[in-house]
Amino acid sequence: MALKKDSVVGTMIFIITLSLLCSFMITGTAELLKERKLVKKRDELKRYVLMASDVDIRGDQDFRAIFEASVTPMIVDLDSGEIQSLERTQVMDFDERMAAINPETSHKLERKKDKAKIKTRADQVRIFQVFDENGKLVSLVLPIYGKGLWSIIYGYVALKPDFNTIGNVVFYEHGETPGIGDFLNETQWTDKFRGKQIFDAKGKPVLKIVKGGAKEGDIHGVDAVSGATMTGRGVQRSIQFWFGSEGFKVFLDKLKAAEV
Amino acid sequence: MSKSLAATREVLTTPILSNNPVAMQVLGVCSALAVSNSMQTALVMTLAVTFVLVFSNLIISSIRNLIPNSVRIIAQMTIIASLVIIVDMVLQDIAYELSRQLSVFVGLIITNCIIMGRAEAFAMKNKPPMAVVDALGNAMGYGVILLGVAFVRELIGSGTLFGHEILKTVENGGWYLTNEMFKLPPIAFFLIGLMIWAINVIQRKRG
Repeated sequence: MALKKDSVVGTMIFIITLSLLCSFMITGTAELLKERKLVKKRDELKRYVLMASDVDIRGDQDFRAIFEASVTPMIVDLDSGEIQSLERTQVMDFDERMAAINPETSHKLERKKDKAKIKTRADQVRIFQVFDENGKLVSLVLPIYGKGLWSIIYGYVALKPDFNTIGNVVFYEHGETPGIGDFLNETQWTDKFRGKQIFDAKGKPVLKIVKGGAKEGDIHGVDAVSGATMTGRGVQRSIQFWFGSEGFKVFLDKLKAAEV
Repeated sequence: MSKSLAATREVLTTPILSNNPVAMQVLGVCSALAVSNSMQTALVMTLAVTFVLVFSNLIISSIRNLIPNSVRIIAQMTIIASLVIIVDMVLQDIAYELSRQLSVFVGLIITNCIIMGRAEAFAMKNKPPMAVVDALGNAMGYGVILLGVAFVRELIGSGTLFGHEILKTVENGGWYLTNEMFKLPPIAFFLIGLMIWAINVIQRKRG
């Protein structure tokens, strides 16, 4: 070899070649798995929506079929509360995360109003209506997210047809402290949301995570988990934000008005 | 030929007991504590480490004469890190739930001293086939400890093995009251300590 491997040039050439080869290795694998990842992501979405709306998916029946049959996804404009008329596939392809950061499809939140600490909010959000066999609405699944202690917590809240009582909640993504803040996806905790009401008589979102435990009969209070104050506070603020005037309130009020 | 075969066997078997990377060299203990609360995670972790170890040793050993001395550690890290990222991606693809349970610990294989140690101490000085044998031996040594600890922890902590119920717990109407302490990381310290003791006693008896 003409070039000495321990010379400066030799070292440079070696490192550059090695880095290139390694990066090819990684991008190659990523590219191979990309397609499957997309499918998986969509399956996951379906599973979480069904979980939130308490549809039993443990049986033999394919959850994808159940999703197709009983769930109607739709895009809602948050400021006007209008449902956008779009094809089902378009709705399923809707990328919420992109919509929330793209300046054309989102707007900046004022500091004071930004309870969930998410900085920008998409103008349009994808929601899910879940129907039973007779075509009756059984639940409305709304996505929420907001900052916990370290990370953005993503979840779904399923409302009963009165658009106030919580059917169930699912938190499907978060990066809270392992062992302390990761009770979020334990049903033991999320079950405590069942039957709680989000709005008070005046229509203000008042659902709270109560430190020391909610009092018996408190229809707006959910027990906090000790040691995870900030995570609990994040969840509370996210829910209050998303059901407030910056969130789904306009849309929900519209639905309620249409019912009566 | 028989001489080299004996040498191969020695390279393969010594890391399992007498020079076990976890028990004797006390390397890679962090992950051994964290993922050994169930057999399933321990097994997947062992497989992931085996994959990374074998390929990092193979690659590093085959380019060992090209690696400039001044950047050899960086070169090793680059290769190991790439392999770990690949393992992480593949794991997320084929076993998503499991990869969630393992959370950061798959990524932390990068910092697992066993892999760096083998790359630096063995792969840099030996031919690729031997390096692979060494990697397999060390991976088995790691796996033996990990699975051994996980066996005790899962059996006593949850009354299950690989998620199958072995001891019927009180929660499910049985008789066995689970010992929560075995689910928490500190117990792994005690168990590994006991294993080190046991291995030492065996070693001494053998002379």
